[in-house]
Amino acid sequence: MNGTHLLEIAGASRRFGGVLAVDRVDAHVDEGELVGLIGPNGAGKTTLFNLISGFTPPSAGTIRFRGRTINGLRPNQVARLGMGRTFQNLRIFPNMSVFDNVSVGAVGTLPQGPFGALFGGRDRARRISERTWAALETAGLTGVADELAANLSYGRRKYLEIARALAMEPAFLILDEPAAGLNDTETADLAAFIRRLHAGGLTIMLVEHDMTLVMGICQRVVVLASGRKIADAPPDAVRRDPGVLEAYLGGDEE
Amino acid sequence: MIDPYYLQQLAIGLSLGMTYALMAIGFTLIFGVLNVVNFAHGEVYTIGAFAGLVAITAFAPPFLAVLFLALAAGAAAGFSLERIAFRPFRRFTDEASLKSRAMRESTLLSSLAVSIVVREALEIVFGSEMQPLPFEYMINAPVQAGPVTLATGDLIIFGVAAAMLAGLQYMLKRTRIGLSIRAVSNNPLGARYVGINTDRTIVMTFVVGSTMGAAAGILVGLYYGAIFPAMGFIPGVKAFVAMVMGGLSSIPGAVISALILGVSESMATTFLASGWADMVAYGFLILTLVFFPSGLFGAGRERV
Repeated sequence: MNGTHLLEIAGASRRFGGVLAVDRVDAHVDEGELVGLIGPNGAGKTTLFNLISGFTPPSAGTIRFRGRTINGLRPNQVARLGMGRTFQNLRIFPNMSVFDNVSVGAVGTLPQGPFGALFGGRDRARRISERTWAALETAGLTGVADELAANLSYGRRKYLEIARALAMEPAFLILDEPAAGLNDTETADLAAFIRRLHAGGLTIMLVEHDMTLVMGICQRVVVLASGRKIADAPPDAVRRDPGVLEAYLGGDEE
Repeated sequence: MIDPYYLQQLAIGLSLGMTYALMAIGFTLIFGVLNVVNFAHGEVYTIGAFAGLVAITAFAPPFLAVLFLALAAGAAAGFSLERIAFRPFRRFTDEASLKSRAMRESTLLSSLAVSIVVREALEIVFGSEMQPLPFEYMINAPVQAGPVTLATGDLIIFGVAAAMLAGLQYMLKRTRIGLSIRAVSNNPLGARYVGINTDRTIVMTFVVGSTMGAAAGILVGLYYGAIFPAMGFIPGVKAFVAMVMGGLSSIPGAVISALILGVSESMATTFLASGWADMVAYGFLILTLVFFPSGLFGAGRERV
């Protein structure tokens, strides 16, 4: 990819009626990084996330992923380019088995023609099954593969959703508030898990409302406030940044 | 010993129930995936029957070829129906609008509109009366099975329907398109973000459901020798009742309910004049809605 960034956001804006939810944000993520995206409520994190993952097109600016402009691509197309994501309020498939949940990730991202889905050949079936088992293994879910997803505990559903994204064999994984609703022990386990994924070579972006997890594991932190990027630095520098302190503590102009 | 008369009625009821099941599956699949009722499903049934009829009068092909042509017509009808009556209303892809009342109501009306247009068009082309069918294509030759006299149609309907139901289960549980259909039915947004093309999956759902509806149409048409433009209405209502009885989005529930409905109707003709047999379905519908609002088998079963 001759020196370009894995993900490059250039002057991205998104307007909803009179509100500029994301205002000319420039940011990037390089291969192998573990980057945090934080900001107080209403800072535009979710909107920026939606721009990246193809849910909403930007009103202005461009978003490039793996050297390709992805403005206007649909979420399933972005996913097929190698971007996996999880959701703050889980979007698992509750009435399907854990195994089937995860294999949807593999099915969705292996290329296929219109009839490939019906008559795909054994080779692809094997690759789907291999990917699925590998992802289950990584997330520690092999023991519950046949369980209905709805029967998993809340904490394990988070791992299930990550496993489903891993089955896509993504080049880039975005986790949307993965620690939401977890207690301290669970959050610590999750942090260790994310570190392991990163150590395994995966590029990860962590979108968090709460600073602790992000500060603990990320190499670099991007801070949004009122739709603008106000900091982009390693955690220690961000922690001392007066602008960031102001945004988090300085009250509620939002 | 059971009176052979009841065995006879049971066999007829099961074969009737199987055709309701084939119809009900189309409704249920589409409801499970989109949460909307497809009012044009009865016309898909009619289209299946007419496609078979046209093939018979034009080339007089063998029975299996007639069946396959009807299935193909059903698939094409399902594809077009989704394009015309459903996709245009799916402009917003967030969850709130996918499940909104506006979405349900607009597709309800658009599918109703398509159903009226199709029925009227068939009446203009073919006339509203029953179409003449060559005798050799009718599937009502008697077959003696112990104390019971069946028609070839009963056996064919039962066999074809059982094969299609088994095929559907296989497709849903074992193939990638089936996995996609279940995923979209569970959580459309989650499916999109792991790379599932939801539009294509929804089209496939319509194609599969409509193929089964068309199969029911041609089989029943050849069995009773009654192919006419409004033939899809009553079976459509019955299938709708079976879907509601089964819990709206449960395929096994809909199939079992369809069989119950078929058997009850054929048994009811013992006690009621046959014109009143349709009352059974409406009675079931009312009882279900009053006493089992989430279906006879309870909520929380696997959708699709």
